Amino acid sequence: MRISRFNIPGLVTILVLLAGWEILVRSGAAKFDYLPAPSGILLASVSLIVSGELFSQALHTVESILIGWTAAAAIGIGLGLALGLSPLLRRWSLASFEVLRPLPAIAFLPLALLLFNFSLTTELVLMIYASVWPVFINTMGGVMGVTSRLYDVSRTLRLSRMQTLVKVIVPAAAPAIVTGCRLSMGLTLVMAIVAEMIANPHGLGYAVISELQAMQPQRMFAYVIFIGMLSIALNAGLLWVSRHILRSHRWAHADHA
Amino acid sequence: MELSRGFRRILDSVALDVFRGEFLTIVGGSGTGKTSLLRLLGGLTPASAGDIRFRGRPVNGPPEGVVVVFQDYSRALLQWRTVAANVALGLEGRLGTAALKERVARALEMVGLQHCAGDQPWQLSGGMQQRVQIARALALQPDVLMMDEPFGALDAMTKATMQDELLRVHERTGTSFVFITHDIEEAVYLGDRVVVLGGSPGRIHTTVSIGLPRPRDQIATRQSPEFLQHRLDIHAAVRESAGGDAHF
Repeated sequence: MRISRFNIPGLVTILVLLAGWEILVRSGAAKFDYLPAPSGILLASVSLIVSGELFSQALHTVESILIGWTAAAAIGIGLGLALGLSPLLRRWSLASFEVLRPLPAIAFLPLALLLFNFSLTTELVLMIYASVWPVFINTMGGVMGVTSRLYDVSRTLRLSRMQTLVKVIVPAAAPAIVTGCRLSMGLTLVMAIVAEMIANPHGLGYAVISELQAMQPQRMFAYVIFIGMLSIALNAGLLWVSRHILRSHRWAHADHA
Repeated sequence: MELSRGFRRILDSVALDVFRGEFLTIVGGSGTGKTSLLRLLGGLTPASAGDIRFRGRPVNGPPEGVVVVFQDYSRALLQWRTVAANVALGLEGRLGTAALKERVARALEMVGLQHCAGDQPWQLSGGMQQRVQIARALALQPDVLMMDEPFGALDAMTKATMQDELLRVHERTGTSFVFITHDIEEAVYLGDRVVVLGGSPGRIHTTVSIGLPRPRDQIATRQSPEFLQHRLDIHAAVRESAGGDAHF
């Protein structure tokens, strides 16, 4: 049972930790040359918000995340459906995918840089490459897990192949597909930041690096915190959307005898 | 017709006619190929040899007018769809919205579920879920309804109610039924004819015509001497067909 909307003890702990950090830095007990106090980070954050710098950097990152994630989801769902439905395709191509999948996307960064230069394309290619896998694997697994009984039902009701796919198989696999999409959002964000730090001089990732090089630890910390907040916001948004999509799938969690 | 899987024979020279409007029940112990036979008749599995015809046309794939109802209702229903949407599944795209709604409502009314149209299947009891599956088949207004041990997972009281409901549907619609069960009493109570399937590979051991009057009654019919005699005969046939060792 929830009494308050706010987790008071949890908030208190966070505030105490922040106060402790502030005291350690101000009293000189923590001997880091460039460790800013929370108050300094807060002031830097306010100035970044007011000047509009934060907005323009965040806009780039959010845009590329949305493009990259949408593309990854589309490709992953397409591949997952195709391989999930066709044993023939699985037999011919799954081995190739299993070789590619464990290779860390980050290792391809120099290669992508070589091919696409310092550009949004490089950033997107890396994001999509990294985040396509969870969607693909989950979709394929979800489709393969659809019970044969549902295929019997589709056949005896004389549904067309298209109807079977759209009305039976995809909805039956929807929980797995949505899980894949949520997992890939996290990867998309990570790859966007990494790519912006190294391969595409725009966005929040690039901002962190340029503040580092400008010896502006307060502003650098502020950007790091914004990235964290963006991650939380994207996750929460996606959770809301997925609950909405799966609202009729509550039975998957219900205790049905 | 015959059916083999690899080197294993499942059904061996089975010849069977289903007549218009009749209620045909098929009994047999486990492993005698009851489900396989129903899948062949329903066009879900192709025969290895021989031929299956529906109204003179060879069956390759489920024919229009024949619908199969499965035992495992919770897996056969689309749990993410409402009861009404489940019933509508086979009709979507074939009827206009108004006609569809009307057909779904009629099918639900026939199984007594008109008040559950907006529920999700998982909110219903087992018996009610099985009714949804039956309504989904009835909505297609089939000529033949094939049922694979539809009440096998239900408790005795629910089962008796469902049997009477099914008989009422049979009377109202004139649909032919092919009903598989391992319950001899159920086979006699429901059927116009009872086919005894036995052996491995399965074959038809006997076919018994049941002359019991309709409408049938759970108490009066089951106590009548004819019912008891049929039960006895079929029990003996089942035991004989299994080589004196019936396990069901």
